[in-house]
Amino acid sequence: MELTDADLVTRVLVDDDQHAFGELVRRHQSSVRGLLRQLARTDIALADDLAQETFLRAYKHIRSFRGEARFSTWLYRIAYNCFREHARRRKEFVGIDEEQLQSEPDPHVVDPGLRHDLMHALSLLPLHERTAVLLCCQNGLSHEEAARVLDIPLGTVKTNVLRGREKLKRTLAAWAN
Amino acid sequence: MNEKNQEEWLDRRLREAVPYIEDDGFTARVLRKLPPAKLRDQSLRSIILIGLTALGSALAYVLSDGGRFVVIEMSRLATIPTLWLFAVALGSGILVMTGGLIASISKTADLQS
Repeated sequence: MELTDADLVTRVLVDDDQHAFGELVRRHQSSVRGLLRQLARTDIALADDLAQETFLRAYKHIRSFRGEARFSTWLYRIAYNCFREHARRRKEFVGIDEEQLQSEPDPHVVDPGLRHDLMHALSLLPLHERTAVLLCCQNGLSHEEAARVLDIPLGTVKTNVLRGREKLKRTLAAWAN
Repeated sequence: MNEKNQEEWLDRRLREAVPYIEDDGFTARVLRKLPPAKLRDQSLRSIILIGLTALGSALAYVLSDGGRFVVIEMSRLATIPTLWLFAVALGSGILVMTGGLIASISKTADLQS
């Protein structure tokens, strides 16, 4: 039987079991790295550095995980804080990496042209709207969970998702039809 | 396409736009950067505690004239009534058990939170 995230967290807490923590990293690395890549506008090296920092912080502060939210939600919150701190330090965001956009798409899943336009449209959204859209529409978090991750009021999350979605729909109207 | 369908279409495209990212050694890199497991710290702490206890005992033995007080107390203990001895043993047992229970309850509460 596969252990749940909560079981693995308990093992880390009780036995300082680093194998259990490794399993947690394996399970969540894709979603955390994916989110950070989109926040960092596809600068993969930066996103992976931030993802590594996210998991190291998670390990260090695992006692503060109270189990009230999903472990992934807790990780997203740390990831978002890492990104914000980095952005504040650099006071600039890395531009969209065209080469990366062309190398990553999976032609069996989504039209490369559509993917390019979608990623470009996403990168044009203000950070607060982009983050809300990524968390709720892409990573499947509820508005309440996203509010917890971003540490902002629920109403603000709803507004940001609505505005972000509207802008994306307008930009991608030709593809939708 | 109506409003609801458009939203579903957009959400689906957003999910599909980010394919699963292969681990490619990421987990191993994270694990290499973790601080050493606490187990080693705990072992070191145990060794220090045992060492200090042994040192303290040896010191007490030497300072008490070769442990003369131990001999006196042992002979005194041998003369007390069996019932008293039983009461002392029972009292000590209950005390240790209570301590263990309190420790385990507080540890459980800590883990559950």
